[in-house]
Amino acid sequence: MSEMARMKFYCDDKRCIECFACSVACAEAHELPVGISRRKVVTLFDGVEGKEISTSIACMHCTDAPCEQVCPVDCFYIREDGIVLHDKDKCIGCGYCLYACPFGAPQFPRDGAFGHKGSMDKCTMCAGGPLETNSKEERELYGQNRIAEGKVPMCAAVCSTNALLVGDAEMVSDIYRNRVASRGKNA
Amino acid sequence: MANTWGYGAMTNHFGDIVGHSKAIFVIGANSAVANPIGFKHMLQAKDRNNAKLIVVDPVYTRSAAKADHYLRIRSGTDIALIYGILHVIFKNGWEDKQFIEQRTYGIEDVKKEAEKWTPEVASDVTGIPAEQIVQIATLLAKTKPATVVWALGITQHSVGSSNTRILPILQLVLGNMGKKGGGCNIIRGHDNVQGSTDMCNLADSLPGYYGLADGSWKHFAKGWGVDFEWIQKRFFEPKWMNAKGFSLAKWYQGVLQEEKTYSSSPIRALWIQGTGITSMSQTLKVKEALDKLDLLVIAEPFVNEAAVITDKKDDVYILPACTQFETEGSVTATNRSAQWRSKVIEPLYESKSDEQIMFEFAKKFGFYDEFVRGMMMGVKEGKIQQVKKDFVWPDDASDEIARIIKTIGLDGWTAKRLRKHQENWHMFDPITLEGKGPMKGEYYGLPWPCWNENHGGSPILYDVDTSVKEGGMGFRNRFGLEHNGVSQMADDKVTVKGSLVQGGYPEITKDNIEKVLGITLSDAEKALIGANWKVDYSGIIEKKCMEKGVAPYGNARARAIVWEFPDPVPMHREPIHSPRTDLVAKYPTYEDQKNNFRVEVKYKSEQQKQDWVKDFPTMIVSMRVVNLSGAGMLERTSKYLSHITPEMFANIHPDLALSYGIRDGEDMWLHAPHGTKIKVKAHHNVSVTPDRICLPYNFAGVFQGVDLSANYPEGTKPYTIGESSNIITNYGFDIITQISEYNAGLCRVEKA
Repeated sequence: MSEMARMKFYCDDKRCIECFACSVACAEAHELPVGISRRKVVTLFDGVEGKEISTSIACMHCTDAPCEQVCPVDCFYIREDGIVLHDKDKCIGCGYCLYACPFGAPQFPRDGAFGHKGSMDKCTMCAGGPLETNSKEERELYGQNRIAEGKVPMCAAVCSTNALLVGDAEMVSDIYRNRVASRGKNA
Repeated sequence: MANTWGYGAMTNHFGDIVGHSKAIFVIGANSAVANPIGFKHMLQAKDRNNAKLIVVDPVYTRSAAKADHYLRIRSGTDIALIYGILHVIFKNGWEDKQFIEQRTYGIEDVKKEAEKWTPEVASDVTGIPAEQIVQIATLLAKTKPATVVWALGITQHSVGSSNTRILPILQLVLGNMGKKGGGCNIIRGHDNVQGSTDMCNLADSLPGYYGLADGSWKHFAKGWGVDFEWIQKRFFEPKWMNAKGFSLAKWYQGVLQEEKTYSSSPIRALWIQGTGITSMSQTLKVKEALDKLDLLVIAEPFVNEAAVITDKKDDVYILPACTQFETEGSVTATNRSAQWRSKVIEPLYESKSDEQIMFEFAKKFGFYDEFVRGMMMGVKEGKIQQVKKDFVWPDDASDEIARIIKTIGLDGWTAKRLRKHQENWHMFDPITLEGKGPMKGEYYGLPWPCWNENHGGSPILYDVDTSVKEGGMGFRNRFGLEHNGVSQMADDKVTVKGSLVQGGYPEITKDNIEKVLGITLSDAEKALIGANWKVDYSGIIEKKCMEKGVAPYGNARARAIVWEFPDPVPMHREPIHSPRTDLVAKYPTYEDQKNNFRVEVKYKSEQQKQDWVKDFPTMIVSMRVVNLSGAGMLERTSKYLSHITPEMFANIHPDLALSYGIRDGEDMWLHAPHGTKIKVKAHHNVSVTPDRICLPYNFAGVFQGVDLSANYPEGTKPYTIGESSNIITNYGFDIITQISEYNAGLCRVEKA
């Protein structure tokens, strides 16, 4: 089905200014323990004139997700819209997915004020988990399910410079293509 | 700013930068960190207009990382840089001659000063290569419209009030004023800073920038429905009514009296509400003054660290004020527009809103009736009078402001209209601010001046190509009709679009209204009309002006010389603590000031007391971190925000750090010329050069190496505490505004 959405993130590094809004809002929204970064903001060449660059990074919800392939207990599942999620009740916290992931997305919580977040925790693109949608259990273990409520994921919703884009891959590339193609045209 | 063309506020707005700016000159502002959403508009302008972004800053900031051109300036030399740029512009004849001729006064004097500032001379002072100065001057001259953006990096200097004049002068010379995509876009650093200055959290004026004078007090007395004599009696002696108060920068001398003060008595009690006092300079003096007070009251949502740094044990009261989410009313954005804010929840626990705390205060001190009467006033048959017996908060407070504050044109800011804008914000264009559909004819938030209840606001100040009705106007006539025989009115050729009065005209008064507007007032009107547009409750002046397409405040020239100031044209003067002793001799600071804001201030005697750079060889530059604002007392109570900067630090170049044997992440002492010191983590970072270090000012809770955790009331200690950089902010204050010289100073680094 060609009209089927395929959800993707994109961060425009010409726009990202390392304001941390995405990662802080994510942590607040999902009540993550401090130190668990579902979304990270990274600056390379910090302070080097002409080279410094910032970007925001989280689970990229890969089409051919390496985490899913290496998981020994098969806890990952990929939704029809491409969002990569996992079942925390199955997860054994072995860390294979972290080795396989090119982006360092999987996080391994120790403890936290809001309780246990499972063995492995990662960005859900604000789509919750396998438990009943918008149930208390889903919220406690996976965080908010904003997608089910028709809302934009928290990180992109608060991005101060519209650097972080999220949505159907086609829409994301349309927005970015438009940004590049209209450069200097005051459109 | 206000002394150049009438108002000290952002002239254009963020949407306008996106819509029209072709070059953006950012100096003394790090918007990527201080105003991330504001900065988005500059990035959008880069994308959409191919706008060139120029960032001038002593350190390579996150904003600089996005710039097309970065100029690494030595702190406190902004005037020298701008003169260098002006030198190139004048030399090549790139100035906007028509604009200068028709709408300005005194640019000749600026030109004369600029002659001295060849790119080479400017380069020696600023540290910016001469070729880069020529390059940027050329870019600014050839790229129109260009906007100039600044913030506290410009104001917080001993020459701050000259800095804020030289940049408007640059824009006047380039003809970028009153134009879409041009202007001076001063960015306010926090939520509602514009509103709090408009409403006078200042020691030298009344609300709405009404000067300290009997006439102003009488205007307010009328608006509040109280006798002038009653207000006068509240003061120790009548003369103190019109004397500036102590400033936030040096109030502590009112307690300590180490420097000579001029007041009726020492300060004995202090009430703090809504300011992080550890974000003020000379923190040790602040602490000593707090210790010495008879009474200290703090009304804040979070524990103000004034209560933590003091050793005072008794007579310290902390009142819980609620947050903005628990109250309602209007706030003013950086572009002079109002935004209505709704209450999300009722005040939690025993906390009270700011106004409730003030009401209780007024009751205890026996002036509650007078305090709230202004909210029950109204204009009936052209006269101001009490029109009801009760008030509704906050609507009647907003309406009171609209009724009284005419200087900046808040007449149209009624609660009803502001609520309507909040409810219909989807009907406004984010680039032009223009309303659509039912909101047609209004700009979002009614940016002031908003002359009456039907006026749509003024998105771009001093735009003569737009009618007054649609937000246009000339420069304000604020500095008299003439100076040295030269008329201060705009040229005859400068007619504001749609104006029936040709060319320039003075501000409108009872005495000149008939002549200027060419009308005859009826006897009834003459009986009701106020002395001038600023105090006319009858509304007749405003109404007659609008009929003629005239701005009540006049159509005058912007002035490049401010004859009341010690430097009529801005002059470069070295910071009080300068690393360039040779330049101190050439460009010394001011003579010591006898009395400003009731206290003497040292300039030359401090600057030339010793060769400071010998013992304190490293420059200090303050910076902001994106996760903390002000004194940081609010954000440091958030674990997620604290996690980003878990401890106080300074960015230090590895070459400098390692010369003292300080490894990345190790502690170091920083010593200030006035004998104070702080212990902070060294962060090796190449955003600073080896001659300077850079540190955030948003911490408190550690004082000269001593952990003050035990001083926090139980359960109130934030997740992170640290040294306040202001403990070592050097002595130094602006000659006019008395703002501290946060952004230029010296220190000595020592391995801890």
